Amino acid sequence: MPLVNNKVGDDCTVGTDKALADGEALLQSLIKVVACYRHLASCVGGCTDSLQLRDELRQTREKAQKLAASICHHLTSHLRDKSLPEEQRKEMELLWVAFSSSLELLHVDMCKVFSMGDIFSLANTATLVQTGLQGGGSEVAARALSLPDLNQALTPTPAAGLESQERSTMEQEISQIDHMIDDMEMKVNVLRWMVEPYGPQYADPLSSADSASLALLSVDEEQPAQQPLCQRKQIFAFLLLFTVVLLASTLSVCIVLFS
Amino acid sequence: MTIRNTLRDHGQRYRPRIACLKKAEKVLLEMQDPKTGVKSQPQRLVITTIPHAITGEDILSWLADRFQIDTQEARNFGSMLVALGYIYPLQDHKRLVIKPDASLYRFQTPYFWPTQQWPVEDTDYAIYLAKRNIRKKGILELHEQEQYNRLHKWMNHKWDFIVMQAKEQYRAAKERKKPDRVVFDCQERAYWVVHRPPPGTVSAMDYGLDRRIDPNADEEKTPDFYGRIMIFTQQSIMRPRVKSSVSIGALVKYCATYNGHDPFLSKCLPSNPWITDDITYWNLNMPNVEIPTKMRVERWTFSFGELLSDPRGRDDFRLFLKKEFSGENLAFWEGCEDLKWGTAATMREKAEQIYKSFLARGAPRWINIDGKTMEITVNGLKHPHRYVLDAAQTHIYMLMKKDSFGRYLKSPVFKDTLKKAVCPEEHKYSDAQLEQNAKNRRPSLSPIVLRQQEKEHRAKMAANAPVDITQLCRYTTPVPHLAVYSGISDFPSANASPSLPFLAHSPACPSPISVALDSTSASERRAEAGEGGAAGIPEARAPAAGSVSRSCMPLSLRRLLKRGCTPSTMFASLSPKYHSAAGTSSRIQPISPDQPSQAPPRRIGNFFQIKVDIPPECRIYPIESEDEDEEENRAASRGGVGAKEIICPWESLTPQNGTG
Repeated sequence: MPLVNNKVGDDCTVGTDKALADGEALLQSLIKVVACYRHLASCVGGCTDSLQLRDELRQTREKAQKLAASICHHLTSHLRDKSLPEEQRKEMELLWVAFSSSLELLHVDMCKVFSMGDIFSLANTATLVQTGLQGGGSEVAARALSLPDLNQALTPTPAAGLESQERSTMEQEISQIDHMIDDMEMKVNVLRWMVEPYGPQYADPLSSADSASLALLSVDEEQPAQQPLCQRKQIFAFLLLFTVVLLASTLSVCIVLFS
Repeated sequence: MTIRNTLRDHGQRYRPRIACLKKAEKVLLEMQDPKTGVKSQPQRLVITTIPHAITGEDILSWLADRFQIDTQEARNFGSMLVALGYIYPLQDHKRLVIKPDASLYRFQTPYFWPTQQWPVEDTDYAIYLAKRNIRKKGILELHEQEQYNRLHKWMNHKWDFIVMQAKEQYRAAKERKKPDRVVFDCQERAYWVVHRPPPGTVSAMDYGLDRRIDPNADEEKTPDFYGRIMIFTQQSIMRPRVKSSVSIGALVKYCATYNGHDPFLSKCLPSNPWITDDITYWNLNMPNVEIPTKMRVERWTFSFGELLSDPRGRDDFRLFLKKEFSGENLAFWEGCEDLKWGTAATMREKAEQIYKSFLARGAPRWINIDGKTMEITVNGLKHPHRYVLDAAQTHIYMLMKKDSFGRYLKSPVFKDTLKKAVCPEEHKYSDAQLEQNAKNRRPSLSPIVLRQQEKEHRAKMAANAPVDITQLCRYTTPVPHLAVYSGISDFPSANASPSLPFLAHSPACPSPISVALDSTSASERRAEAGEGGAAGIPEARAPAAGSVSRSCMPLSLRRLLKRGCTPSTMFASLSPKYHSAAGTSSRIQPISPDQPSQAPPRRIGNFFQIKVDIPPECRIYPIESEDEDEEENRAASRGGVGAKEIICPWESLTPQNGTG
């Protein structure tokens, strides 16, 4: 996360500080939305693909586009401002690089969803690949749209009409993003090799508890075949031991009683 | 299903060798059909169950059933599907093979399917590795660690973004239900095992260079398209045909001969480096190795072409020819090859050099080709190009093949080589040793270093190898920078020369003889130019002198010309401007009868060095004409480069060549 180092309440920098903070917040939310979009996109074509998923994708996409447009406008206007002080410019450029990378990711994901939606049409559910997923992407979409709870009423419109309309909208949006990327390159010249990031090379683990359970899951799935077997073996051995101990104690009690 | 990349594509993104992807996708869609596909079962983990797991044996039986193939074939096919990434194993996820037992697999989600047009982005890989590191620090394997560091270096500007995105993806994943999270993790991991394989494994995603045109796309039916089809069919009709018995017979003979030497079809001694990672085989078969292997020597006996194409074989053959004193044939052939494959800038000089060394009458290493070929070659040399010596080269090649090759195979040289040839033992490596070998793989020498070594070797060969000069002649021009052929130098003897009338005008020229002889040659040329016949050229060449410094000669003579001296006529033929000075030829004539008597005595006992270390700037000119004439002379003399004693016929006949 690019840190804002200058907390000095300089008069001329206050405005740009605020601009930086705004830009960062917007960028953060864009990155979040792009990440969620990727998760949703990975479900397309699988057995959990449904109109709902497509709808969620659409909403996420629209949110992403709105955010992208506002960040673009924001950053472009600031970077074209020649009077920007050097440090501010550096930080703006960092934001710029992050923004363009996330736009590229979004573009790729949108193209993939577009063509996959083409092939895996929802009309024929038998061709949806059985990937092992069970739940949909509702929670992810809720996170993307920053809604506490997603109440989606499935709109039972005829599939054909909606899909073709969807496709044309999507095509437009893809080309919009394309243009945005082009415009960005044209308007502002950011030398990528001059940009230095602030953050560490390795990200810190976020929460240990969850990681432990996930690790457990992954370990489990490494030997699921042996796991039941081990358990069975263990139980059997335990039972045997228990029986032996019981027998031994009974015998000893008998001996004690009858001796 | 090919995912089109609508982002600005700079072309060359198509990967033609993975055209099987479309077909694999069709098969997969059939396989995963809940009714007619492979039957799936739920996978039981400690905490939860995940559906849609399939066993290896079910997959194989389905494939064998569907395509009517046997189990082994089904195994190969199944392994291919896994290697491409359409199915991933749940246990032992790093080995991408199908095991014919109850081990579990699952279908990959279409988002992670390998695509024809979408390159796998390093940014995504960096995000994936960062995510794994977030989940548990230190979980990255060694090669992943290295990749991570490398990506950190190369994508440094994006690194904040990558870390942020990794965190966000991780958080978004946490929103999902646990089983889905596990499935997604497995999917992503499998995707990266396919596309960034660990070292020592073979990736099915290896393709060659990217191509500009999508081979899977349907081609538009433009007029060009039909034009191409028409040309193709016309050429097919006009192609010459051979009787199938003949062609098949040739194929069978070829296969029978080379069967034992093919590393795929038979054992490769000691071991195939691609399989066992042991490079002994390559070391034993290096181009300049002292002792070749028996297989290699056997290969030389198959045909003359084989012998020549192997550098070690060629060396052996060269040695044999040296003993037989017929090394000029091979040298000529090599010179022609050099001309054919060399750079265009040096072509002209090389052609001249070869002509002077091998083809000209009285050349030091004269080769014996018939008159017709000689005529064709000489005519062609007027406008030299890469293939001008092709006819002569073919003639010499056939000569060597029919004559020398047979004798070589019976010669003591060959028998000696055969006796000394080594036959290595076969390696027998255990699995552990193979892994050890794989770890110890080292890159070979850089091609730059190899090229340098080759150049040094060639220079050494050129410097050391004494050439068997069949004709004693001093009439060769040294070409300092084309050190291909070499001879024994005899520089000082050139200075012992009779004084000639116009020698006083050019005292600084190191070999006055050449002046005289050049004048003679010029006179001969004048005579022959007067006759207008190309037949006079061989005569002109015979008494021609050997000038040691070629740039010296024309300059000094030009100066003499300016002063109206006799050698003007020499340059008459070299530059068009001086054709008018033909009138002075009268003075030359008296000298010409002398020349033939002068020339022979000097022939004896003089080996001329073909390669000489005279710096081209050996200019000791008469002072007067040094300044303004230099550039002009140089420009004019360039046309007559090196053509002082053995006059290249194209230069004397075609005036435009005189100005270079």
